[in-house]
Amino acid sequence: MTTIATARGAVRPKAQNRVLAVTRLQFVNRWTMFYLPAIILGAILLLNMAIWYIVLASLPTGTDVAHAEKGFQYTGAVFYIFIYMLVVAVQAISRTFPFALGFGVTRRNYYLGTALSFTILAIAFSVLLTVLSIIELATNGWGAGGHMFTPTYLTNASWGLRFVMYLCLFLFFLFVGSAIASVYVRWRAIGITAFFAILALLIVGGIAIITLGHYWTAVGTWLATTGSVGLTAWLLLPAAIAAIAGFFVLRRATPKS
Amino acid sequence: MTTVVEATGLTKKYGKFAAVDDASFRIEENRIYGLLGRNGAGKTTIMSLLTAQVFASSGSIRVFGQSPVENAEVLGNICFIKESQTYPEDFRPRHVFASAPWFFPNWDQDFADRLVADFRVPMNRRIKKLSRGQLSAVGVIVGLASRAPLTFFDEPYLGLDAVARQTFYDRLLEDFAEHPRTVILSTHLIDEVSNLLEHVIVIDDGRIIIDEESEDLRGSATIVAGAKSAVDGFVAGRDVIHREAIGGLVTATVSHLDEAGRSAARAAGLETSPVSLQQLIVRSTNLSESEEGQKS
Repeated sequence: MTTIATARGAVRPKAQNRVLAVTRLQFVNRWTMFYLPAIILGAILLLNMAIWYIVLASLPTGTDVAHAEKGFQYTGAVFYIFIYMLVVAVQAISRTFPFALGFGVTRRNYYLGTALSFTILAIAFSVLLTVLSIIELATNGWGAGGHMFTPTYLTNASWGLRFVMYLCLFLFFLFVGSAIASVYVRWRAIGITAFFAILALLIVGGIAIITLGHYWTAVGTWLATTGSVGLTAWLLLPAAIAAIAGFFVLRRATPKS
Repeated sequence: MTTVVEATGLTKKYGKFAAVDDASFRIEENRIYGLLGRNGAGKTTIMSLLTAQVFASSGSIRVFGQSPVENAEVLGNICFIKESQTYPEDFRPRHVFASAPWFFPNWDQDFADRLVADFRVPMNRRIKKLSRGQLSAVGVIVGLASRAPLTFFDEPYLGLDAVARQTFYDRLLEDFAEHPRTVILSTHLIDEVSNLLEHVIVIDDGRIIIDEESEDLRGSATIVAGAKSAVDGFVAGRDVIHREAIGGLVTATVSHLDEAGRSAARAAGLETSPVSLQQLIVRSTNLSESEEGQKS
């Protein structure tokens, strides 16, 4: 009669080591995670600066420069970097999930390690954006009165508040990205189609409820009182829901070849 | 002997199709197993089930005495190199070899470096630009250098040339001698690895049809060749697995021919030769198919 026992040479891996190994794995290619998004951010900034200078240079003499610069307050250029982070999250999970499973990682440890790497990524880029926003204010908008990192509702905010708002935005986009990626990894294209169909239904349903119940005034009041800072903070709720949903979706996912 | 893997009634269904059908087997510690079978027979599915990459429809799996599903303790001792293994497409081989040691506690960096040189893997080329053989080499190196107590190689040689395949077999045997571990190798280049394998499990149509020591398997059949009348006279009353006739010359594969039987054959003026593992398995899988045909 043979016995079943832990094999010689077998080791008991420490759980936190496996989680951290996944976190390190997500960052092993610095280029994808840090350099490329940073370069994209730099390119957007340069492009915006070019536009500001062209606009300023093309002003007819005697125009109020301050008036033109007022228009620069509303750039949504920095938004690209948030969307790009959603793409980074989707790519990171769809690429490394089947790979990490071959390395003997549980789905749980994979997700926890990945979530930790996304949080680190969010903090790193929030620091970068905060530093750039401080430079932007100190240089009078890159010498052109531009506001890429300090849009109009953030001009008077403290750098600490700006950091927190950036962090909320990054966490939102990264974890929505990881939820989408988990759906893709588990159910492929059909899952993604169903996901967006359900999302569209929820949005339309929400609008219907607000419209039919005549709640638009209430919504408007809530938006006005919550303000941009409050609204950004509210993003943490869907971010947390996405993070938890992504975990449970990935728990039963199998790598497809 | 210590059992490392025990599967009982293991079944994996995709809709109505059973990729693995009621498979029961054991894998003993520190031996090299061959998981053999035709394409689509269920080899990869069995490996994916044992490594908890896919979930079983029914039956039980014990790896190191526990269920492997979401079990960090079990999976931390496993390395699974899939034939269809996908690598992050933005990776280069150096990223793979940089991260592997974080996951495999027994990882041997010197060994990995030597293997990279042996297989001439370009460390800085994008994974997407690697040839099929180079990609296989990356997997082979991870599988060998990880020294995981339970290592799975699923057709690890695709695209590797004969020299590289021999390098793989040689390194596996050398390292296995120094660092015994349990290796499960799926392949259909059976003759190439037959010296490596200590035990053979053959799967066909999701079912296990052979589960035997390779030594016993090799001795289990003999080819008897000679003139038609002599062969027919000799094999009468014996268990003939396969028969082939070219002109007046007949070749018959006879199962379980002992030494006395072989002497008798030689005395009858017949030539005897052992059956290669590959021939035996080809015959067995064909046989199970024709039986299947008769049933329906």
